[in-house]
Amino acid sequence: MRNRLAILPLLIRMHVKSQMEYRGAFWLDRLAQIISYGAVLLILWILLQKFHQLGGWNWPELALLFSFQLLAYSLGASMSFTQLRELEELVRLGAIDTLLTKPVNTWAYLIFSGLNIGYVGHIILAIPVLVWALLAAQVEWSVGTALFFIFSLLSATMVTGALMTMIGATALIWVRSNHLFSIFFGFWELTRYPLGIFPTGLQVVMLTIVPLGYISSVPVAVLLGKPVPLLGDLAAPVTLLAGPCLVFIAIIHWRYALNRYQGAGG
Amino acid sequence: MMAYAAFARSGFLTSLAYRNEVWANIFGKLVQVFARVAIWLAVYAGVTAVDGIGIKDMITYALLGGVVMGTTRYERIVHQVGKALKTGDVAIWLLKPVHYPLYLLAVEAGMSLYTFLLAVVPTIIVVASVYGMLPPASLFHGVMFLPFCLLGFTIHFLCAAIFGVLAFWLMTIFSLEWLLQSLITLLSGLLVPFWFFPEPFGTIASHQPLAWLVYYPSAVWLGQLDVGGTLLHFGLGLAWAALLALALALLWRRASSRITVQGG
Repeated sequence: MRNRLAILPLLIRMHVKSQMEYRGAFWLDRLAQIISYGAVLLILWILLQKFHQLGGWNWPELALLFSFQLLAYSLGASMSFTQLRELEELVRLGAIDTLLTKPVNTWAYLIFSGLNIGYVGHIILAIPVLVWALLAAQVEWSVGTALFFIFSLLSATMVTGALMTMIGATALIWVRSNHLFSIFFGFWELTRYPLGIFPTGLQVVMLTIVPLGYISSVPVAVLLGKPVPLLGDLAAPVTLLAGPCLVFIAIIHWRYALNRYQGAGG
Repeated sequence: MMAYAAFARSGFLTSLAYRNEVWANIFGKLVQVFARVAIWLAVYAGVTAVDGIGIKDMITYALLGGVVMGTTRYERIVHQVGKALKTGDVAIWLLKPVHYPLYLLAVEAGMSLYTFLLAVVPTIIVVASVYGMLPPASLFHGVMFLPFCLLGFTIHFLCAAIFGVLAFWLMTIFSLEWLLQSLITLLSGLLVPFWFFPEPFGTIASHQPLAWLVYYPSAVWLGQLDVGGTLLHFGLGLAWAALLALALALLWRRASSRITVQGG
């Protein structure tokens, strides 16, 4: 087992080395992503300059929501998105069969051989905004708040990774699954805004079927002491448990999909 | 010309073949339009009008924002041009008796027509039936909305194709796609119309070509421009489209004359 896992750091090193081969292009891509997310933040600022509040949240609070979402997403997606988006193509071409015969866990091989360090651009933007927003939003800090912040970020990261794993694994059954990522990103964009501004039906969906509410809106609302729709006082424990629970469900789903896999071609 | 009509038809039929993606697209768009409306309802929060713009105007603006932006996908165009240049596939198109950018425009028109009919129109109908939507300010404004949308589609295509051709020099499609996305986010008026921008940024933003993607078609529908203003801005939009088409033609000629395809 230990021998099999020892290959993972090697896979990461090889992939990082290949990604950094074209250093100029790599950093140009990161700069473009920073500018793009910066534009979204700027639009949010313009909106708040005019209206001062959005659903009872002011500018520093919304900047906190934006940066928390970006950080949790980038940490979770670096371990899942691009690798699982490519799974559809691996299934279609039959290349997944080669992975299945390797003496290493298929998921671990897929994830670590494609660990996406490209998300460093998201992190470079998210961390300074997060630090500024945490100071400006007047969070009432205590040991409990600090622990909640760390573990809710961890849980949010797990939610992102688990959902993407489940979507990607669907390709093993349906062959095509990338259209489900469109739905994911449709909902994901909503997580930049407070959950309370959306219609009740959408709130229910974002806390259950597509539980993206736990990657930003719920934890940040708890951190700021704001009311969380539908969950109320249960918001803090639920958001902390959401990540581990979804990871557990994703493991079951992955195994089920792998067992159902019969190949896509002949 | 018949060839381009066939390409447009093929674009329409290709979309038809991937129905799952279309349904996922409809669902994604529906969620996003609901969200845009929810954002405006939240910021207005009981206020009837801000700077003379009422909440009904903003709900209508949020719905109309999806007509051009929901129909075409700039990343698809950037990706296709960039990939063809990078892989050398473009060489095949240079041998054919068709103009590659026009071929792309025809295919995109076919695909966009499909998305418009099967995703955008149903989305608008569903959301409008829930929140309500203002009719055009007058018959003139209603009639002019359509040409403004077509102009928006053309400018959208031209900008995306220019960014795609730039991949020939920059050799990266990824960053070009993201840069165009940031420009569209900020300068199309999709999320926040320019009348809410602080000055002088509002004036600057309303004088660049991406404003014709969302801001002007929606402003025309809502009657924010009078008859003279509407015609003037349609003319200005045409001038931008001509300028962008010229830029694309020049860039394309330069790129295609320098192509070296390696391998075989």
